Amino acid sequence: MVDQQEFRDEELVALCQQGQGEYFDLLVRRYMEKAFHIAFDFTRNTETAKDLSQDAFLRAFSNIRQFDGRSSFYTWFYRIVVNLCLDHARRKGRVVWESLDSLGETPGEQPQLADTSFLPEQEAIAGEAKRRADKTLETMPKKQRTAFLLRNHQGLSIADIAKVMKTTEGTVRVYLHRAVAALRQSLVEFV
Amino acid sequence: MTSNVPFETACKRFEEDLVLYYYGETSETERHPIEQHLSGCQSCQRFVDDLRRLLPQMAKSEEFPQSFWEAYYDETVAKLAKQRERKYWWRDLLAPMRVWMLPAFGTVAIAVLAIGLVLGKGNLPSFTDRSPKNFPMETLSDAKQLEFFESMDMLESLSKLEEQDEQKAEPNQSSSARFVAANV
Repeated sequence: MVDQQEFRDEELVALCQQGQGEYFDLLVRRYMEKAFHIAFDFTRNTETAKDLSQDAFLRAFSNIRQFDGRSSFYTWFYRIVVNLCLDHARRKGRVVWESLDSLGETPGEQPQLADTSFLPEQEAIAGEAKRRADKTLETMPKKQRTAFLLRNHQGLSIADIAKVMKTTEGTVRVYLHRAVAALRQSLVEFV
Repeated sequence: MTSNVPFETACKRFEEDLVLYYYGETSETERHPIEQHLSGCQSCQRFVDDLRRLLPQMAKSEEFPQSFWEAYYDETVAKLAKQRERKYWWRDLLAPMRVWMLPAFGTVAIAVLAIGLVLGKGNLPSFTDRSPKNFPMETLSDAKQLEFFESMDMLESLSKLEEQDEQKAEPNQSSSARFVAANV
């Protein structure tokens, strides 16, 4: 078996683009946990997160020739995952989400109300505070939420989040600040 | 976990910077004034403490066993393999035929060509038959024009030859004129 440490992302992508698609399996191995966790953060459902993240890999593979290397593979791939998660949420009708491509980048957009009948299928990890935080996240404008999840849960830098969301670093900072302020406000009785 | 401690708000001017400070997203020059402010502002200190306590809790994700990841990987790789197969289905279609179909196709093609040539001999118009009646009218008129221009070329050549002859004749004429003048 090929040692996955042997190749950088760009090398693996280049091999896939040359028709050696089996090397994509190494990218799956490398990014499967991150992809799954992003999807899980958005959906709070193991099966849905698995389906969405696997779909992201399939889409990335079928579009690998369109990857031009201007961004890193992982920002390109994160974007696919995030867009799939947002599209999924929109289809489900929990929140009137729109994909990252569809709206302007105005940080001041108003929160869209979630369907309050929705509750995470899995129990929140840390009791009531966690559930409250999750609920706040669900009702948060999608871009604030995306910026927050990518920074707080995935550890992406603001520069990388800006690339994933195709916006400026300044805008991401605003999204992040607003998301944290909203979360902190919602957890006022728990702090 | 709940407490009756009043909710601390940070100084408005620093709130955004404190969030970025918590995430380590501030530059050296930005960090210095923030830390300086923090050292003297209890509200902002509590704000950062709250972030340190709350945000990592939120980031905690469910732990999945190794078997989950192995199954996930196998499933994803199987889906990818299926996608690759679908992408190159025509290769699979041709693959079993390749061994014997290529020479067979070649033989059939040559046979058809040979039969066509044998049966078609005499029926096809001959390329060597160049009698004018077989040419279309447009071609004939074009040919006439060509003949005209060829004759024009010849005329031009003739006139050039005449000019050359005249030029040759002129020196002889002048030398005879000089001879006559000398004798007079």
